[in-house]
Amino acid sequence: MRGLLVAALVSGVVNPPLSPRNANYTITARLDPATRTITATETITWRNITANPTGELQFHLYWNAWKNARTTFMRERALSGGRQRPRAADDWARIDVTAVKVLGRDLTDGRRYIAPDDDNQNDETVMVIPLPERIAPGSSATIEVAWTAHVPRTIARTGAIGNFFFLAQWFPKLGVLQDEGWNCHQFHAGTEFFSDYGVYDVSLTVPDGWIVGATGVQRERSANGDGTTTHRYYQEDVHDFAWTTSPDYLERTASFEHATLPGVEMRLLLQPEHAGQGDRHFEATRTTLKYYGEWYGAYPYGHITIVDPAWQSGAGGMEYPTLFTAGTRWLAPSRVTTPEDVTVHEAGHQFWYGIVGNNEFEDAWMDEGFNQFSTARAVSQVYEPNYLMVRYFGGFIPWVFKDVALQREIDGNGLPSYRRNARSDAQATPTHRYFPGTGGSITYSKTALWLNTLERSFGWPWLQSLLAAHFAKWQFKHPKPHDFFATVNEVGKQDVTWFFDQVYRSSNAFDYGIQGLRSTSDDQQYHTTVIARRYGEALFPVEVVVTFRNGERVRERWDGIDRWKLFTYDRPSQALSAQVDPNRTLLLDVDYTNNSKTLEPRGESAARKWSAMWAVWLEDCLLSWASLV
Amino acid sequence: MTGGSDGGGGPLRAAIDGIRRVNRAPALLAGVWAVTILISLPLAFSLREMIARHLGASLAADAAAEGVNYDWMQEFSDQATGIGVTFKPTIIGFGAVLDNLSAFVDRTGRPAVILAAAAAYILLWIFLAGGIIDRLARDRPTRAYGFFSACGVFFFRFLRLAVVQLLVYGVLFGVLHTWLFDRLYPRLTHDVTVERTAFLVRVAMYAIFGFAVAVCAVVFDYSKVRAVVEDRRSAIGAIAAALGFLKRHAGAAAGLFVLNFTLFAASIVLYGLVAPGAGRAGLTMWVGFAISQMYVVARLWVKLVFWASETALFQSRLAHAGYVARPVPTWPDSPAADAIQS
Repeated sequence: MRGLLVAALVSGVVNPPLSPRNANYTITARLDPATRTITATETITWRNITANPTGELQFHLYWNAWKNARTTFMRERALSGGRQRPRAADDWARIDVTAVKVLGRDLTDGRRYIAPDDDNQNDETVMVIPLPERIAPGSSATIEVAWTAHVPRTIARTGAIGNFFFLAQWFPKLGVLQDEGWNCHQFHAGTEFFSDYGVYDVSLTVPDGWIVGATGVQRERSANGDGTTTHRYYQEDVHDFAWTTSPDYLERTASFEHATLPGVEMRLLLQPEHAGQGDRHFEATRTTLKYYGEWYGAYPYGHITIVDPAWQSGAGGMEYPTLFTAGTRWLAPSRVTTPEDVTVHEAGHQFWYGIVGNNEFEDAWMDEGFNQFSTARAVSQVYEPNYLMVRYFGGFIPWVFKDVALQREIDGNGLPSYRRNARSDAQATPTHRYFPGTGGSITYSKTALWLNTLERSFGWPWLQSLLAAHFAKWQFKHPKPHDFFATVNEVGKQDVTWFFDQVYRSSNAFDYGIQGLRSTSDDQQYHTTVIARRYGEALFPVEVVVTFRNGERVRERWDGIDRWKLFTYDRPSQALSAQVDPNRTLLLDVDYTNNSKTLEPRGESAARKWSAMWAVWLEDCLLSWASLV
Repeated sequence: MTGGSDGGGGPLRAAIDGIRRVNRAPALLAGVWAVTILISLPLAFSLREMIARHLGASLAADAAAEGVNYDWMQEFSDQATGIGVTFKPTIIGFGAVLDNLSAFVDRTGRPAVILAAAAAYILLWIFLAGGIIDRLARDRPTRAYGFFSACGVFFFRFLRLAVVQLLVYGVLFGVLHTWLFDRLYPRLTHDVTVERTAFLVRVAMYAIFGFAVAVCAVVFDYSKVRAVVEDRRSAIGAIAAALGFLKRHAGAAAGLFVLNFTLFAASIVLYGLVAPGAGRAGLTMWVGFAISQMYVVARLWVKLVFWASETALFQSRLAHAGYVARPVPTWPDSPAADAIQS
């Protein structure tokens, strides 16, 4: 394996191939920034790697999701709440396929649109091309497509604003043919993408002087003499291609070096107003390459491009093969991990999404959740303490609350978000069917929390070994949930199916607590009773610790199945406190305050302190309004 | 437009005079501080109950008492209603000031119970304003009966003025603010890709809005001053008189406003330097609370200085400093005393 990785050159070439390379794209595209138009052609060399023949081809036309307000994407976005800005006519997008040839035969007129997920007749994000002849297993087809596209004002991390262009999901892309048939979902508001691995050879024509960043490495750059320059990018063993162009970027480079991992050349395209933050982006990327590399497996491409998107572009925080968008602000305090969090997270997607290519339409938790967990873990290795920051005055002025240190387990994993939406969907529901407004809590936070719970239950070496095994087994493939669960049970040598029944197959919430604690004395000794209770529906074995005044601590194991459990003790010392899950192994517990009781409560003391502080806030609030009298 | 060329004291002298007048009336300051804290305490007690109930006998209270238990705070916040939803880390230290200033200029919504408290507080200020300005204008003790007599005399006059204020501020916060921040600002920054540029645009919006609010506040301040000093009954008449005064003494009034606003800014900055953090329950908490109350007192002092210095400026420009038309009230003796005397 290491030999393979070393073979990766900073040229886009990966030799020998790491993936099946069954969907290879050669694209020629010209961007006219003035009209925000892309005119392009692509030649796809596609091979049927399933066991069944196919009589049609299915393409994603993602940009049609932003064609009008009636598409599935826009309807779901409206469901998720929040203010929807009205879009001017020119701000919408479209992608019009003008010609399709398969094996030299013009099939343009046969194209039609389908909506496999919701039958929305207004959704044109999936195009079907019926084939005159079936493509047999193992056979290949050459597909030529011509199209024009209107670049939207940035939406869902794609589009243009001012001179900034970020172009993702921008070309007609084949779905994934599986033994069960085509897996080609419509574009949904809450989900991302899924496609096969291949080789991308893309020539991009933009105005002279505009800087281009793209998946892969630049192989050629030629001035066309008409005020435009063509940049050719090339990359093997990736499943997508995104690019950006702007005349405003500052370009920086650095490298990642490691004793046992292959080196990586880093290229950063930075907004001028963030000129002083280059090192923060590089350091965060190094953190990712180091820790993810050590924990899961090496990054094989030898190069990576970090894009700092323009303000208000909405393009920040997104992953594409060998390229990702970070996200920082003009004022970014050093003790707050922005842009580090987002940089580590998106760089981390090179591993979970880029290299291990799960289906993000159906099982987004397999990359987003794994990555959220890994991000929090990696950030905690380097960037602690990390403080809470709130932005004021229109969201411009940051203020760091140095009293509030963020914790990996709680804030990094996203417990507050999960707590609010714990019962919103079972994780086993296909991701595109999660409720749009709360899906992120299940995809990102719940996964991170249950992974961290496994880490706390069985130890990091156990979890790391099985995540590494999963990574090794499924790199450049498309794993499904049962593949991961099988790896856990095989490599981990523990049958934790019961755990996945709780966290994956149900939407039940965990909530254990101490219902009662009494400790009364007769002449001889203290009689202590502790009632532990399961308030939630989900099950997890927990520890109960009872502490006595003389310092004695009694640890009990409770399988957590019954609704309650009584513990009694006769001791010479009075009990002081009782606590369920004192080490907070079960990070998914939605109410940790009720996990303990003490006979020397300090609730009043804490309440007095915080209400006094709040009173000052209120006085100040009143004074603000009284200034108008 | 004469700006101090017509005799009388300049803005600096008025400011100093105002500071002296406020400093010579410590009971006023103590009184408004007492009112401020008394309005806040019932709600604070209510929040204390909520917090105590949520923490119960949990060990989570230990961390909450010793510092910041952010995890618990978020748990509390998720189930909170009413004033409980305002209990966030943003109440800690100087963050509280930024939170309120930002909410004020960005017109951020607050829970109904907070708005009700604010309305009650404002009503109290309307009641107290007559007595306060009367005391500051006389620059000598008026005692409780004099003070509250003036409060009563001017309450309904100021209530009528408050109706005008409500309309004007309604236009400022409802129309001008909406136009500036919800329409003009998005339009100006629609295609801006440089955050610094957008920030400068927003600062310009704040400046325009702030200027409008300040001008109105000054007009209403001088309306109150003229109403008290000249014993005016008509709110409209007082506003017209204030506008006339400001027209004739624009430079001095503007200069005085700048000086007073500097005091306000200084109180904010100073608190920013010394604001206590979350601290621990017990003595640390009380020390932090005391420091915070000193800040509250400083803000109230600045507010009184505004009125005192504006009164001083007005009186100095009328060339009869210390003049107040309304006589100090004297209570009639009891019928029995009258009988003995006669």
